[in-house]
Amino acid sequence: MNIKQQVPRNALVWIIISLFALVAPHAGRLPIWVLAVYVIAVVWRLQVHRGLWSFPGRWVKVAMTVSSFVGIYVSYGTLVGLEPTVALLLTAFALKFIELSQRKDAYVLLFLGYFICITEFLFSQDLLITLYSMLTVLLVTTALVALHQPGQNRFNRGTLKVAGVMLLQAMPLMIVLFLVFPRFGPLWTVPLKTHAAKTGMSDFMKPGDVATLSQSADVAFRVKFDGAIPAKSDLYWRGLVFSRLEQDVWSGLGYYDVPPNEQRQNEVVVEGTPLRYTVIIEPTQQNWLYGLHYARARSAGIMASSDYRLVSPAPVETEYMYRVNSWGDVAVEQELSEWRRNTETKLPPQGNPQTRQLALDLHAAAASDEGFVDSVLSFFTSESYVYTLRPGRLAGSDSIDQFMFQSRRGFCEHFASSFVFMMRSAGVPARVVAGYQGGEINPLNKTVIVHQFDAHAWAEVWLDNKGWVRVDPTNAVSPMRIEMGLEEAMASEGSFLAAVPLSPLRYRSIPLLNQLRLRYDALTYRWQSWVIGFNSERQFDLLHSLFGEISARVFATLLFGSWALVLIPVAISLFMRRDTRPVNRLDKHYRIFCDRMALLGLVRAPGETPGQFLSRAQEALPAFADKLKLITGLYSELAYAGERNEAALAKFTGTVNQFKPDRRRGVVVNDSVTL
Amino acid sequence: MASVQPSAERQNQKLNENPSIRERLRSSFNRWVKRRIPPAREVTLDQRRIFIFPSRTGFFFGCCLLVMLIAAINFENNLSYALTFLLATLFIVAILHTYANLSGLTIRAVRAQAAFPGQQSEFVVMIERGKRRDHYALYLKWPSSSEALVNLVDVDSVKVPLHMPVDKRGWFHPERLLLESTYPLGLLRCWTWVDLDLRALVYPRPLSSAELPGLATDTPDGASAMVPGNDDFFGFRDYRKGDSLRQVHWKGLAKGHDMQTKQYTAYADRSVWLDWELFPALGVEQRLSHLCYWVLAFDERREEYGLRLPGVTINPAVGEKHREQILKELALFGTGGSTR
Repeated sequence: MNIKQQVPRNALVWIIISLFALVAPHAGRLPIWVLAVYVIAVVWRLQVHRGLWSFPGRWVKVAMTVSSFVGIYVSYGTLVGLEPTVALLLTAFALKFIELSQRKDAYVLLFLGYFICITEFLFSQDLLITLYSMLTVLLVTTALVALHQPGQNRFNRGTLKVAGVMLLQAMPLMIVLFLVFPRFGPLWTVPLKTHAAKTGMSDFMKPGDVATLSQSADVAFRVKFDGAIPAKSDLYWRGLVFSRLEQDVWSGLGYYDVPPNEQRQNEVVVEGTPLRYTVIIEPTQQNWLYGLHYARARSAGIMASSDYRLVSPAPVETEYMYRVNSWGDVAVEQELSEWRRNTETKLPPQGNPQTRQLALDLHAAAASDEGFVDSVLSFFTSESYVYTLRPGRLAGSDSIDQFMFQSRRGFCEHFASSFVFMMRSAGVPARVVAGYQGGEINPLNKTVIVHQFDAHAWAEVWLDNKGWVRVDPTNAVSPMRIEMGLEEAMASEGSFLAAVPLSPLRYRSIPLLNQLRLRYDALTYRWQSWVIGFNSERQFDLLHSLFGEISARVFATLLFGSWALVLIPVAISLFMRRDTRPVNRLDKHYRIFCDRMALLGLVRAPGETPGQFLSRAQEALPAFADKLKLITGLYSELAYAGERNEAALAKFTGTVNQFKPDRRRGVVVNDSVTL
Repeated sequence: MASVQPSAERQNQKLNENPSIRERLRSSFNRWVKRRIPPAREVTLDQRRIFIFPSRTGFFFGCCLLVMLIAAINFENNLSYALTFLLATLFIVAILHTYANLSGLTIRAVRAQAAFPGQQSEFVVMIERGKRRDHYALYLKWPSSSEALVNLVDVDSVKVPLHMPVDKRGWFHPERLLLESTYPLGLLRCWTWVDLDLRALVYPRPLSSAELPGLATDTPDGASAMVPGNDDFFGFRDYRKGDSLRQVHWKGLAKGHDMQTKQYTAYADRSVWLDWELFPALGVEQRLSHLCYWVLAFDERREEYGLRLPGVTINPAVGEKHREQILKELALFGTGGSTR
């Protein structure tokens, strides 16, 4: 084999290390047999290395490739989509490792490794994942360097240093490129629907759904207000509007359920200064976004639905940042269309007769729709309803009747659903709104962290002249939930995050842990807002604030200027190493003399003594015989003198410095030196 | 004949054009390289002498980066952007590192071994570093030689032997020595072609002949004359520089005497003249080949022999130096090469 193609043992070790480092963060998403393939691959390759086994034959390779395709298909049920693709990539990586025998195989393997690093980011751009990925990039680069250090048969950590230094040198340039590279939209749409279930709101709601969601301590989104943070009890993050009730399940209107003339949002006249805030939402794989009433997106590309929600055209698949303005007390949809009124008062023809009757009675007793709302709320307050995370199962058909008149224990969705049912029974337009309520304020960076357990459902009622008005029946039952939060509301029950005993949120009472948690969260926010949320808008703002008017020239100057700034020090550090040649003045100046003679075509041969060189030079340049003799004489004298003779040395160096031969004319210029 | 049909001629020219353009390009490239890196016993690599270009792996890596960039754009994933840019700038930084791996190295011609045609001649070059930095994976090769991959780690110089088959009598000049390296990432190839002014002597191919026809001897009467030789022990004399170590009287030296050389005699009547005229019927190369064979034969037998070529006469003697001198004359006879 070509000696250039050999893979040093040190490189093999580094490749194995990076192999495992690459697969580790994916391990949780992979079928267990893929991990087994990794172990087999490494064992096989090591046995080949020890000369015990041989490389797999062609048919073995074909069989392994086919069976891994089949395996992925069986495990995922499909070959399309992000997870199966990544699993295929990782399996191919392991199989390629078995047949690694030449350097070119290693290139393919390691470049594939870089690509696997990228796929990890499609699942999460978390700070810790990023730090870990930097480590794997370092390991893969180290393996690449080790590949070019022949004869290194022992594990060598020095290779790590070479790779690390190169990556550090590349870092500043990478940042410049990151900041100035134009961001444009996707070239084509990519199917990225992840098969992993995400905790979060779904587009329908049945009793018990929100209570289940409240067992999760995951972060739903983080919000940063430009000004002061409003009171917690005002933070109703609208995400979904449920206008349709079928078989105890509330769901939103689909695109085709809304007639074309109702698709557009009614014009809303806003006045006063809005609340300005920025939301960074964690991936939901859904289209809807969250905002406070009445929300208008400041970021481009966000649509407004006819029920006054914010909708992203594409599912939110990675952390996504958007900016919103909200006007809290603006009335929306003061004129209700006929279609809208019909839709928002529609109920299944049968079921829950008791509740219907109760609604009709209360409505008859009330003077107005507003009075009716108040009397329903006070009914909830007076009739000792219990707000609980453990409402128990409501079986059978008339579940609202059961809740209203038998169990009387419910979570927010029970109250909201019953309330809207009663409104609609009496012909008052009403709908269920789902989203989050409240949030935790991080005192370190003044962000509001909204967790999954802040999930909430409430109601909106349409009133004459007021339009849609928010009504939260939960507030009537448990004001604590709205003002303080779920943890406080559930303090006596002890059911807060009962399913996740290790969540750091459960240990908020320990100051040190809480401080650490908040600090990390603040860091995450900063990371998300600066790195993950960096888009064309932020890019424009940043460049504009730094350089004013942005033109192609500014771009080019910035790019090349910064590259020069970084590359020049790198070059200096590389080339300005200490000379191995002697540095004492005598030898240095004799060398200068020789270099100048070389310009005249008189090159001192290796091993030629100064004396021999002198006689040769004198023959070639008789006009300067004296000076050549002087220089050589002084050099020999000084070289063999026991002690230093500063005066003679100075004379020698001076003479050499003034000896400047002219290459073109082959003569020595500047001959007017007094010796 | 001036009346060749012009069109046919042009067509002929056209047919030959492709190779001739190629040849012309090659020769002009060679001329350019020769101007840029003139032949020398010792070459220190600097920016005039080092070429650098992405390797095939580098282009492959570039394609991978493009795919990564498309992934980053399509998924609008900032960290994918960041990693792609990091790798792209790593490529840029690698230019400096790859270049630095060759820069400052000095390549020095050490020696070239003389050889017979069909044998491998050993060429030794020395690589020296100029700065205290490690150099890895230096790949050396002459167009027809064996290859070597060496590191300069914790040492200032390394000697590299390369073997090359030689075939024609006379001086053998290898073409330019290729020194290349793709360290540290393999993405860039950095190389130089140096002409080390190193040449190997190629002797004539020995051709045996059963008898040496008409031995020419110096003393026709066969009188015994004392000529130093290797046959019979004669006595001791003081060691002189250049005496064979095999003939040193080591036992005496061990006893504390001065260094002495054992002397042997050979009989002058055995001293032979290997004469050009011995093979009158043959061509130049064949004559030289036969002479070469007999040089080796007499040297083997430790007999004295001299050489007479047109214009060259070397008196009979015996020994390694003598043999080398004669072989050199045979190797260079008629080639115009100087034996000095």
